[in-house]
Amino acid sequence: MLQFSKFVAVRASLAVLTLLLVSFIVFTLMELVPGDCAERYLSFKNSQGAVITPADIQAERVRLGLDQPYVKRWAFWVANAFRGEFGDSCILRLNISQLLGQKFWLSLGLCLSALVLAYAIAIPVGILAATSKNALLNNSLRLVSYLGLALPNFLLALMIMLFSTIWFGESLTGLFSKEFRDAAWNWDRVKDFLGHAWLPIFILGWSATAFAIQTVRALMSDEIGKLYVTAAAARGVSGRRLLMRYPARHALAPIINSLGFDLNRIFNELPVVALILTLTEAGSLLIEALARSNDQQLAGAIIFLLTGSIVTINFVTDILLAVTDPRVRRSIVGG
Amino acid sequence: MDQTVNFREENNMKSLFYSSVALLALTGAASAATCPAVTVSDMMGVAAGAYPQQFELDEFQSLGGCTVEFSANPDSAALNARILGNPELPSLADRLPSEPLVLAPYDSIGTYGGTLDALSNATEAGTSDFMSIRHVNLVRYSDDLATIVPNVAKSWEWNDDFTQLTFTLREGHKWSDGAPFTANDVKFWYDNLALDSNVREKPKDYVLVGGEAMDVVVVDDLNVQFNLPAPKPGLLSHFANHYAQGFQPVHFLGQFHPDITADADANAQAIGFENGYAAISAYYGNSDWMDTATPYLNSPDLLAGLPAGTVPTLESHIIIAESTEGRHLVANPYFFQVDTAGNQLPYINEQDELFVGESEVRLLKLINSEVDYKSQSLNLDYAPMLLEGQEAGDFTVELKPEIALASFAFNVTSEDLAKREVFGDLRFRQAMSVAINRDEINEVVYFGLGRGQQYTGFSPTPGFIGEEVEQSYAQFDQDMANALLDEIGMVDTNGDGTRELPNGDPLVLNLQVATQAMSIKLVELVSQNWRDVGIDSTVKEVTTDEFRSAMSANQLDVTMYAKSQPLAVILGVSELFQPPFDNYFNLRTGMLWGEYVDTDGASGVKPPQYVYDMMDDINAFQAAIVGTDESNEIGARLVKTMVDSLLFIGTVKAVAPIYHSNSLKNFTEFQTQSYAYYRTYPYRPTQWYFSE
Repeated sequence: MLQFSKFVAVRASLAVLTLLLVSFIVFTLMELVPGDCAERYLSFKNSQGAVITPADIQAERVRLGLDQPYVKRWAFWVANAFRGEFGDSCILRLNISQLLGQKFWLSLGLCLSALVLAYAIAIPVGILAATSKNALLNNSLRLVSYLGLALPNFLLALMIMLFSTIWFGESLTGLFSKEFRDAAWNWDRVKDFLGHAWLPIFILGWSATAFAIQTVRALMSDEIGKLYVTAAAARGVSGRRLLMRYPARHALAPIINSLGFDLNRIFNELPVVALILTLTEAGSLLIEALARSNDQQLAGAIIFLLTGSIVTINFVTDILLAVTDPRVRRSIVGG
Repeated sequence: MDQTVNFREENNMKSLFYSSVALLALTGAASAATCPAVTVSDMMGVAAGAYPQQFELDEFQSLGGCTVEFSANPDSAALNARILGNPELPSLADRLPSEPLVLAPYDSIGTYGGTLDALSNATEAGTSDFMSIRHVNLVRYSDDLATIVPNVAKSWEWNDDFTQLTFTLREGHKWSDGAPFTANDVKFWYDNLALDSNVREKPKDYVLVGGEAMDVVVVDDLNVQFNLPAPKPGLLSHFANHYAQGFQPVHFLGQFHPDITADADANAQAIGFENGYAAISAYYGNSDWMDTATPYLNSPDLLAGLPAGTVPTLESHIIIAESTEGRHLVANPYFFQVDTAGNQLPYINEQDELFVGESEVRLLKLINSEVDYKSQSLNLDYAPMLLEGQEAGDFTVELKPEIALASFAFNVTSEDLAKREVFGDLRFRQAMSVAINRDEINEVVYFGLGRGQQYTGFSPTPGFIGEEVEQSYAQFDQDMANALLDEIGMVDTNGDGTRELPNGDPLVLNLQVATQAMSIKLVELVSQNWRDVGIDSTVKEVTTDEFRSAMSANQLDVTMYAKSQPLAVILGVSELFQPPFDNYFNLRTGMLWGEYVDTDGASGVKPPQYVYDMMDDINAFQAAIVGTDESNEIGARLVKTMVDSLLFIGTVKAVAPIYHSNSLKNFTEFQTQSYAYYRTYPYRPTQWYFSE
């Protein structure tokens, strides 16, 4: 048990280290964008009729601490970030924590739901596809998953919106109906949210499912042919019991390992889908901040939070794997 | 057939009515009848008042020989309950001024209720169209866009030499929280907000006359005087067409202003703000724009302890919720207008504004009838799809001429000195102007409905601007462009097919487009036109916010936006002719010239003499009486300087779509699709209503 705690402690510190490293990269990228927050802030002041001189910009840099050495500013930024404090958005001029608020959790919720949806479908279907000899089933599964891989998400979203507009007179945008947009959370608002959230979850989930089916199928196909499976079969284990106890268990380990990676891939696709569906969550804010308004502070905060989520999931899956996979467990706790 | 019968019946009704009016008039006012429900399309025998389509209460009652009986929206109390901080609603008599403004609806007396759905691009972006629907100001341009009529002010008076303007307000007029609106609110706006350097570091051009402040004097509660340091007849016009409302509630914002009360900071700190000015900033946004973030968005953590969610207003609707997704508003229960039947306006209960950044998605929502009215950001590109969807979507699309002209400007004070030299060379700007194929743009972008022309500042073109001025360097002449570029030493030295700067450095213009006011198709065509004469460029779409801040931070090579103002606006606002030639929100160039002028030469770059000539001329133009020979002569000189300098290069003046739901009634066709005259304001959206 002591060794297990040691393992958890090592993993946790590695996770924190990763996060620190990524935050440094994110911070560096933010620095590389031309024009700093002082300039942007003052051009807003300029809109209030103020005359801006280079000296003003310099003074503002000092006020915002932008004249401090690079590493010192990073340390300050990351220390605040760990406390959930990201300062003000340069362009929107609002406190980032207040601005992001529940938006990041909405985004994470959408992505995790898409991930759950993907594996809820992919694991049984992938196993079935690997074991079934039915050509029709195999080919149609392949077609669906290739479509999922090949069809860009934004196109899928636009197509669904267009069809819905033509046939149902509803453009299916947003995460809430008008009456619930500014309401406090209650059961009706949750229902309203779910009534809107299925579409992005479905769109994000489809390509994720397609990808996951291919992975599960390939892993299963690999495992099924191995000697230990043949040996188990020879001892009289058969059918579902054989599949679940031996190859499926082994095939699933790499999948648990890659959950963090999958989440990242889904989150990467979220901004484009969110933009098309006018979802008001962190993904659309991120693309707005990165691509359109160069709002480094905001983009940095969102990327930091996303990285934090992925690192956390990786940490959890590592622990999970250690608990579920006897080989890993033994390598940690011995015996 | 049916119509004829109806018409006859109506006529019979009318003559019956006239005779009874006459009878009543004879029998005296003691038993005066209820007033007829006069509309613009049917005046029911009541003579027109002093101003088109509206009356003062006394005027209407005496013209009609009748008494107006007032009635309120039955939902008033429920709507009032949703306005954070508003007390219980008193009776209608205590809410209306004793002398309300009486509006004749266009077609019919409306019915109360409904929610007006609107689309904007984002917080503080693409919102003026929606804001204009609830807008009020001291006066208003009537829908002929020529007559100035009373609105918040009951009347006004100029002195002989246009140096003193006196407004008379309405007795009993109240803010949306029920507090009295008086002349002190006008003075507070002017002295303590517009001129206070803690609120705005430098006063806006529109509150100054020839660069100097006015003296605002409160004569009594109902009379307020603007004393001008020099004649400026356009000041009245300013209050008719401008977004800046000439009043702010001193009873509310004043409690946080140190010049009004010594307790300002304490009052603000008691509710969680750092100091008084921070509270003013949270409520007023330190801007006269009415779309700056309210405490709902900028201080959500303090909201529960605040006296109000947003600053009290005189507008027809008031904000009750705001997020980065949109805003929601309800009718102001203290609004000062009534219709001719005595119903308090506005008819429409609620307004909902949704922010959608993607123009394609906005189009989808319009086609899908999810919006009741929109004109801003609707490019002509949308027209075919919108026109096709009219019947199925039960909406109407009208194509109306725009006022602003898609224009380009080269950064004559670029931070890059090699570029500054080239952009500052008139021959370069001439070459770039004649390299543009305006006919092609007209065909491709505007379906041949527009007209190519040069930027003159004024739009529509007033009489003192001749055709040759309007078309100066607007012809398509690639040979001339090539010759001019060769002449200034921009040649292709490295053989890559594009011209380099005279010092041999490559030149790639970075064209950042804010599609709010510029068609990206147009910019791509211009980019190609310029490449055809050897000037390379890249095109990138950015948000309006990003474009504006980059432009004012002097980071762009080329700036582009729709630009021009009507004569009525230029009479009151001189910024088009003073560097950087417009405000933060519109097309600017020569940021460093502006800095030089603003700092009296302490920093920035000294502008050439012709810029000073324009600044003198615009002041002289505003001081002259419009339409006189003197004014026309100055105006012509001013425009000639502007056109000859080609600081701004015009392209094609176009038409653009106006979209409105067929269920939106009393909607009159607009004269222009433009920001000028403040969008819907001349067409009186307070009397819009929804049919069942």
